[in-house]
Amino acid sequence: MTDPQVAVAMLGIFIFIILLGFPIAFTLMAMGIIFGYYAYFDADRMWMPYTRALQQDADTFTLIQNYIGGFFNNRVFDLFVNQTYSVMANDVLTAVPLFLFMGYVVERANIVDRLFQTLSVTTRRLPGSMAVAALITCALFATATGIVGAVVTLMGLLAFPAMLKARYDTSLAAGVICAGGTLGILIPPSIMLIVYAATSGVSIVRLYAGALLPGFLLAGMYLVYVVIRAMLQPQLAPKPEKLGDDVTVFQVIWMLLTSFFPLAFLIVAVLGAILFGFATPSEAAAIGALGGLLLAMAYRALTWKRLQESVYLTVKTTAMVCWLFVGSWVFASVFSYLGGEHLVSEFVQGLDLTPLQFLLLAQLIIFLLGWPLEWSEIIIIFVPIFLPLLPMFDIDPLFFGILIALNLQTSFLTPPMAMSAYYLKGIAPPHVRLTQIFAGSLPYVGMVFLAMIILYNVPAIIYYLPQLVYGR
Amino acid sequence: MQRYIHFADTVSAWFGKAFAWCVVLMTLAVSYEVVVRYAFRAPTVWAFDLTYIMYGTLFMMAGAYTLSRDGHVRGDFLYRLWSERTQAKVELVLYFLFFFPGVLALIFAGWKYASRSWRYLEVSNMSPANVPIYQFKTVIIAAGILLVMQGIAQVFRCIITIRTGEWPPHAQDVQELEEILQKEGAEALRHGSEAVDIVEPKEPRR
Repeated sequence: MTDPQVAVAMLGIFIFIILLGFPIAFTLMAMGIIFGYYAYFDADRMWMPYTRALQQDADTFTLIQNYIGGFFNNRVFDLFVNQTYSVMANDVLTAVPLFLFMGYVVERANIVDRLFQTLSVTTRRLPGSMAVAALITCALFATATGIVGAVVTLMGLLAFPAMLKARYDTSLAAGVICAGGTLGILIPPSIMLIVYAATSGVSIVRLYAGALLPGFLLAGMYLVYVVIRAMLQPQLAPKPEKLGDDVTVFQVIWMLLTSFFPLAFLIVAVLGAILFGFATPSEAAAIGALGGLLLAMAYRALTWKRLQESVYLTVKTTAMVCWLFVGSWVFASVFSYLGGEHLVSEFVQGLDLTPLQFLLLAQLIIFLLGWPLEWSEIIIIFVPIFLPLLPMFDIDPLFFGILIALNLQTSFLTPPMAMSAYYLKGIAPPHVRLTQIFAGSLPYVGMVFLAMIILYNVPAIIYYLPQLVYGR
Repeated sequence: MQRYIHFADTVSAWFGKAFAWCVVLMTLAVSYEVVVRYAFRAPTVWAFDLTYIMYGTLFMMAGAYTLSRDGHVRGDFLYRLWSERTQAKVELVLYFLFFFPGVLALIFAGWKYASRSWRYLEVSNMSPANVPIYQFKTVIIAAGILLVMQGIAQVFRCIITIRTGEWPPHAQDVQELEEILQKEGAEALRHGSEAVDIVEPKEPRR
């Protein structure tokens, strides 16, 4: 077997092991070591001390020592530890625990019910008002926390029964919550974009600037869809019986001031600091976490127990993401040393694709990977296979990354691993069927594709902000 | 075996949780840096190094803790469909093939790497503050040792499961908010059973 063939075998075995369900980070590490040992095997170099000792007529003990030591002289060990250290000292990934911490603190700050109530009162005159309020709450809360499961579950407990009680259509209500909660991985400051930045080397600041308008575009499309649907089919979203006319404008403003604005301000401050270069993403994340703590304190929700929980959950999730990086970087460098990367690019070149065809193929593969896998695995392990191919087709990794971020929205909504739908199903009243939830989410999958087509044709939506702020 | 599992879980959790507080230190230290930079125009020289050292230590030391609570991602869409005994059998083999080689190499390679650094008491070259980083490189070894210890506990877990037919329960631990709230509908989170549910609606749960 030639080296590139070994590399292909390595990829094949890896995919097989993933299917068996073993923790992916350690599989990657071990496969990197095993195949790397083969790739870097160099008998002359490894047993040089032994040969030298032999020539110098050293005693038997030294000979045995050097002979055994030879097995450990493989350069793969240096590669392994260097890659590990570069994850440990990565200045982009430092933002991951900080943003997670901010998310967990905000999640536990008792803010979401206040927010939803305020917004339902504020939007009460719109068609489908509760769905609109739920969508905005989801989007804002998801942006601040970035934890999809928590947003969907909390809103599923709060807004979903409220909508069902108001005789909203089950599918419509379910779709709003599933799709709205998923926006958190797209709209900055999102952790997924940090991870993509660390994988691709695109500046995280430009990614955030680029993702902002597409995020608003998608959220806006969701909103317009809900309003139009409610206008065309009023029976799906009946107007509330009590319009709440007794609520004065002053009261509404006060409610907004105490629930909507503090959270919005926190997000805007964090994002603004990053985009205008006042602070690095890690610094902004730290300030955001501090702001989250203050916010929780202001809502009298900051207890010692909650702080502890937030800290421990942060460390578990950070370890999950970062160990995946350790494994992936070891695996990827061995894979490309064996010539696997070259083989892939030759293969793709042989397909003779146009850039558009390549883009479609890549996004289709990522979409399909999103069925069984989650975003962290896709971005850290599979996206690096596409990245070296981008220059060949003259595709900007920034543009590619934003499309992926949009695309991965669907991974939460499409079975068999539609996490958003499962979270909602888990807490929904028993008569709500999973099929109803899927049916409700389907239009949003369609809208994600539509948004991707729009972005392909009008890339200015992505580039407008980065160019405005950084001039390139 | 039970006692060893309990011991390993406790030690991993202790280290993971102790170093978890680095995130609070990070939050405070970095916020302090931003404040003094803008309010007093006196940026610190140490904040940058401190940030990545704490971040690196935090996630490396928590690797074993996350493993003990089954927190590392796995592509489990097939895995969930198997019986617990089958899961354990497959996992037992895979631990020896695809877990121990990696983490043992981590200890060995980390040892060479860190001892070189200790020899000249290496300091960071990212900033003029001369922040020492040899202790930071030692974290690699410590993380590897914790992982091997926890890995042995996981192997024991598999053996117990093969004998009894069900996974021994995990120790009490913090849970994601959705997990707490989902207690009632925990069954729904097992996607395997859900997939059946789409085709053939089951009786309403309660």
